[in-house]
Amino acid sequence: MNGFSAWLEGIEGVSAHEALMVGLPTKRVESWKYVPTRSLTRTSWQPATPKTTERFALTGGRFSNIPDVGGLEVADEQLTPKEQKRLEEISEEHGFGLTQAALDHSRLILTIQETASVRINLDHLANEASSAGFATLILRLEAGAELTFVEQFEATVVEKSNLSSLRCIITLSRDASVTHIRFQAANATAHIFSNTNVTCGENASYRLQTIEFGAKLARNDINIALAGRKASASVNGLAITKGSQYHDTHLTIDHVTGDTRSEMSLRNMVDGKGEATTNGRVLIRKDSQRSATEQSIANLLLSESARVNPKPELEIYADDVTASHGCTVGSLNKTELFYLKTRGLSEADARAFLQYAFAEKIVGEIQHPDIRDLVETQLLGELQYGELIGELKESVDV
Amino acid sequence: MLIIQNLHARVGDKPLLKGINLNINQGEVHAIMGPNGSGKSTLASILAGRDDYEVTDGKVIYMGQDLLELEPEERAWAGVFLSFQYPVEIPGVKNIYLLKAAVNAIRERRGLSELKASDFLKFVREKLKVMQMDEAFLHRNVNEGFSGGEKKRNEILQMQLLEPTLALLDETDSGLDVDALRVVGEGINCMRSPERSVLLVTHYKRLLDIVKPDFVHVLTNGEIKLSGDHTLAEKLELEGYEGIEAA
Repeated sequence: MNGFSAWLEGIEGVSAHEALMVGLPTKRVESWKYVPTRSLTRTSWQPATPKTTERFALTGGRFSNIPDVGGLEVADEQLTPKEQKRLEEISEEHGFGLTQAALDHSRLILTIQETASVRINLDHLANEASSAGFATLILRLEAGAELTFVEQFEATVVEKSNLSSLRCIITLSRDASVTHIRFQAANATAHIFSNTNVTCGENASYRLQTIEFGAKLARNDINIALAGRKASASVNGLAITKGSQYHDTHLTIDHVTGDTRSEMSLRNMVDGKGEATTNGRVLIRKDSQRSATEQSIANLLLSESARVNPKPELEIYADDVTASHGCTVGSLNKTELFYLKTRGLSEADARAFLQYAFAEKIVGEIQHPDIRDLVETQLLGELQYGELIGELKESVDV
Repeated sequence: MLIIQNLHARVGDKPLLKGINLNINQGEVHAIMGPNGSGKSTLASILAGRDDYEVTDGKVIYMGQDLLELEPEERAWAGVFLSFQYPVEIPGVKNIYLLKAAVNAIRERRGLSELKASDFLKFVREKLKVMQMDEAFLHRNVNEGFSGGEKKRNEILQMQLLEPTLALLDETDSGLDVDALRVVGEGINCMRSPERSVLLVTHYKRLLDIVKPDFVHVLTNGEIKLSGDHTLAEKLELEGYEGIEAA
């Protein structure tokens, strides 16, 4: 069964035909082993209609109000061969990749000019019930350019399943840097797909902070290639997964060249019947000497039926490498709970404190105060009994 | 205030306390001394409500209530405070959040109004001064990256803010240099009052030179073998626990 069949049948061309033939990935596809595809297969998906908005937004698979700021240029739709190749890699991975390619509504290519410093805020608007939007964003950073790219998701209630997919290809020339903040607090029936494919040139740095609170199903594929010497990447991620939510992050950092550095710290806090999958893979190739990587995956289980599927992978083929890794799964620490309770905190408040502490390790690292405050406020709302910390922050952090 | 009768406790099959009897009246300071593994910390932990231990016999009456029936937070509300031998680090939570939450939680249960932010700050600054702690401590994460001495000062700071009726101080002197020992000792002394009782667990006499106890008990192998006044600590220092046991 494939909920996209009718839509694909109406499209001419090889890619739609291919997507239709291959169908959606099943549990036999390793990278989709845990993804609950029921709502994808059972919804009869229609193309979403774009909404009007006054901000730079992705709506119904289309970009609206493309920012007009100094240092930012909208390029024509011509892809470079490398970009073309990377898009093909995404689509060839499995049937959903093919579907994304075939149903792509629009493509936007933005260039951040040499040494310019630009901030872009992209709002993902909710698509209506049973509708889906697919888009592709290409970001090209010229030498020494700096970009802060903030993605946020509209939380408007939608009665039934809705879907939004963005494939994003980011290329950083030498000395360029990107701070990418992705705050996904989409509506409870949303299916959010995100593919981020990054290539860092010499001395370029890419930093991603990704927070997942919302959606019914969210799949986050991140592939980073450290292609130039002294390139670096850092990925911090937090997912709070509750009810019957499913969050899935597949991250690969490829040290293509030597003298490159990477860091990943991914945290999941899972409650109710939530399920979180984390695949963190670091590849250090044979000739990538003097590379360094730090990898950490931490999972906090808050209920009996919560489930996590962590898979840390470290593949090292070079011999002069610094690497550390750790992966933990556990519930709230008993001694910490006891300590807080001996100070008079109720069981509920003590639990909220420790959950907040777990999340704050990631949220507190967000460097942009406006986004950090927004995420923290939402975080306190996500925590049961988070009000106490909210009041404390308000009364003390002045 | 506190009556411990025939208290037996174990972890798994291993008995740790084998019939502790102890009475602590209001305003008294009792020191419990004893070698490693004698059950001193176990006793303090059980009184504070840690559930790693199984109480197999005996009872503990605190101000007329069955203490062992209460949850740790209920004991805190009733005025019991435990200073941890190894204070717990909580990265991600600022010290001041914990202090304010704790003070107000306990005030609420004692029928007092919540302290306003400005009153709380005034109160906490006063206590920081006593403990010779910098205000920057408030904005650091709970015990994270604190030195051993800083952690212990933070424990006594919390005791001062929570104003317990029964303070259980578990090896508060361990890991302290001479100066920190004096600050911590004075921090305990200034809390002594006719309404407040203290149970000090320690290995050494040095803290007892500053905080002079009314009674000293020697705990070995899960039992109180000997009790006396503060001169017992001096005798222990000279003769060691083995000498006491042999006597």
